[in-house]
Amino acid sequence: MSALLEVEGLTKRFGGLTAVKNVSFALQPGEITGILGPNGAGKTTLFNVLTGFMRPERGTIQFDGAPLIGVAPHRIVNRGLARTFQLTRPFVGMTVVENVVVGCLAPRVRAEGHTEARARNMLDRVGLGPKADLMVDALSYGDLRRLEIARELVTRPKLLLLDEPFAGLGTSEIEPLAALIRELHKVEGLTILIIEHRLREFMQLVRRVIAMDFGEIIATGTPGEIVRHPRVVEAYIGRGGDDLEARLGVATESVRGTA
Amino acid sequence: MLDILIYGAVISAVYALLAVGFTLIFGVARILNLAHGAFYALGAYCVYTLTSNLHVPLIIAAIIAVLLVALFGIAMERVLVRPLRRLPPLAVLMMTLAVGLMVEQILLLIFGSEARNVPSLVESSFNFGGVLLSGQRLLAFFCSVAILGGLWLFMQHTRLGAAILAVSQDPEGARYMGIPSDRIFSIVMGLSAAIAAAAGVLVAPFQSVIPGMGLLPLVKAFAIVIVGGLGSIPGSIVGALLLGYTETIVAFKASIEWSQIVSVAAVLIVLIIRPAGFFGKRAAF
Amino acid sequence: MLAWGSLSKTDVIGAIIVIALLATVPFVGSRYIVGIMTVALCYAIWATSWDFMSGLTGRENFGHALFIGTGAYTAGFLNVSFGLNPWWGFPAAAIVAVLFSLVIGIPTLRLRGPYFALAMLSGAVVMQKLSIIFSETTGGQDGLNGLSPMLRSQVSAYYFTLAALVVTVVILKLIALSPWGTILRAIRGDEATCQAAGINVNFYKISALMISAAFAGFGGALYANYQLQVGPDLFDVALSINIIIMVYVGGMGSIYGPVGGALLLIGLTEGLRSFSEYRLWVYTLVLILILFFIPSGVIAPVWVRVRSWIKSRSAIFSRSAGA
Repeated sequence: MSALLEVEGLTKRFGGLTAVKNVSFALQPGEITGILGPNGAGKTTLFNVLTGFMRPERGTIQFDGAPLIGVAPHRIVNRGLARTFQLTRPFVGMTVVENVVVGCLAPRVRAEGHTEARARNMLDRVGLGPKADLMVDALSYGDLRRLEIARELVTRPKLLLLDEPFAGLGTSEIEPLAALIRELHKVEGLTILIIEHRLREFMQLVRRVIAMDFGEIIATGTPGEIVRHPRVVEAYIGRGGDDLEARLGVATESVRGTA
Repeated sequence: MLDILIYGAVISAVYALLAVGFTLIFGVARILNLAHGAFYALGAYCVYTLTSNLHVPLIIAAIIAVLLVALFGIAMERVLVRPLRRLPPLAVLMMTLAVGLMVEQILLLIFGSEARNVPSLVESSFNFGGVLLSGQRLLAFFCSVAILGGLWLFMQHTRLGAAILAVSQDPEGARYMGIPSDRIFSIVMGLSAAIAAAAGVLVAPFQSVIPGMGLLPLVKAFAIVIVGGLGSIPGSIVGALLLGYTETIVAFKASIEWSQIVSVAAVLIVLIIRPAGFFGKRAAF
Repeated sequence: MLAWGSLSKTDVIGAIIVIALLATVPFVGSRYIVGIMTVALCYAIWATSWDFMSGLTGRENFGHALFIGTGAYTAGFLNVSFGLNPWWGFPAAAIVAVLFSLVIGIPTLRLRGPYFALAMLSGAVVMQKLSIIFSETTGGQDGLNGLSPMLRSQVSAYYFTLAALVVTVVILKLIALSPWGTILRAIRGDEATCQAAGINVNFYKISALMISAAFAGFGGALYANYQLQVGPDLFDVALSINIIIMVYVGGMGSIYGPVGGALLLIGLTEGLRSFSEYRLWVYTLVLILILFFIPSGVIAPVWVRVRSWIKSRSAIFSRSAGA
């Protein structure tokens, strides 16, 4: 079977800083894969390059048999590659269901019609059905994550990129969201790529982890292998970085600060 | 040729003064301050009132005027702008606009629409190789350069200056580092108002002091900052030189009317060709 | 910010009542009042067209007068210089305004930040200065005079303007309620998220500006054909700003609110005629008060309240009738 996504030698620089350095990997259809790395490892930049928000200096991206570089972000979505953002920014001033309707209006799926019915179905699936007619401002952070996933799912992606979906969530919110992601993968066979800076969430969720540090891929393997990989251990523990709860606190702060 | 060189230098220096404050408050607080021209007009009118009505010596009047306008800027930021910062950016823009219009109306009510005269500090004129330049213009040039130099030293060599630069380069990062951005906003608004008022004070003797005198400088500040890149101080100085000289050349070679169009046309052309300006970072995702 | 996402039977009835009230003006008002009201209706068209682009997408336009002025001058040139029938002025004005919107919108709407607002502002100023510099063709400060009238009587001009306003509001409101409007409001919410939902943000922003410009240009031609004169003041910054204040008073993004805002502010201006030096004061004061205390505006939020009051009343009534 040919790969759904094939990344080859991808490099993205910001002035003197190389945020993504010669990154190559491939995703098979139906695979659920994690990208692990400490803050600043280049994970989000990689997503921004994959989804057309940034243009790389070097490298190629093949998605579903066609190159992606130079294609506008909305066109990439309409080819079946959807993403979420680390900081969810919903359409404020609109209701929850209207937020999802916007995804139903993407050219890829617009012809299906029944936008509102489709949006409501999707909200039921992600567990936001009862909140469909609230204003988005009233949603909790966990609900906003679900809303964002719902808005991407209505575009019927082949590949879904999730940018730190668990960041800023309380423990009671993490498990239901992980269950939703597992279900999307198992039932729909959706190919999923998840960014996380904490391994804990990955243990139950993904088969394969790609570990990054300073913009480079430093290891690839199962979560069990990655946990013991010396370069990963060095990247995390060597910098005193396994104080996960403290980091979670920082993440929550930054989200509130910019909201 | 020499006349263009000399007059262009004077105009550019004053323009740089106007533009630096305007770009500073945008860079730091992302406020596009449409009341910037009002600071300039207030500076000129303060000096007028202090010298003609209260008979304060000119130099002291100038200093008092700059300080009063700085206080006005700080008060405006505190009372009128800060409470609106949670609303969409358009609200802040509209508020600065409202303040600008309000100041113009108040000046109109108090002083009427006729032009007022402010005495020159230096009465004599100087001859540069056949080009006659009034002392006040010469003073305006040197004071502008001195103020810009002082600003540069302040930004480079004081803690407060460093904090202002930090906020303008990365507002969120600066907040994490414990720099109180609210206080910085106030201070920068005061600083920006003071510099604009200084420009008003310097040109008042050779400009007609009328209530609407702030509009054109506002447009010029816009233009310079757009040409130089929003938020960039070196860019705004280069922009001021470009615009000052282009205007002077057009005024000498074509007509004053065409020179008035230079700045706005420059804005339009730059925005259409290279919207982030020639020295600014491109505003993108 | 409130959402203006629905249209009920009450809305339609309310609109019909307002239109009926406006239609009675020539019967009860003097010639002078009818004249003022015609101008007010032109302002209403301009304010509504501003709201369609800037109220819905949140991309502020500080030079709407650019479209109004180019529309008015286009109509004026065709009429005075080329002697064409005044009716040709309307489509021509709309087309020229749309061309200007493309020149400014395509390069600047792609960028974040205030670039679009500034480009619109300077575009209007450049046109104003050019109209004075090329005074031999444009008439300079005096503008173009002596347009041949399109309608004989003042009352028929009033009704024509009213009809134009109704058509404008209906078309723009229907677009705003359609999926297009949903997308425009989503752009106001967040552009990157909108792109991630597969929406071509630039296409929608530029088309919204084109539509807005077309109606503003049309309104400019209407004004020119009514006043039989066009002048550089139609490019004035003050005109653009007055329009924005009207939209603020009316309620941004509601499309119908700005009509009320325009009528209210023109009414206020006329009421303060004897204190004309305080007029701008009043505008600025109104603006500051609204920004501070009711940033969502007056007209549209008041109507939303009235509508829900009527709904609750009729619910009680039908329940008691059913029992």
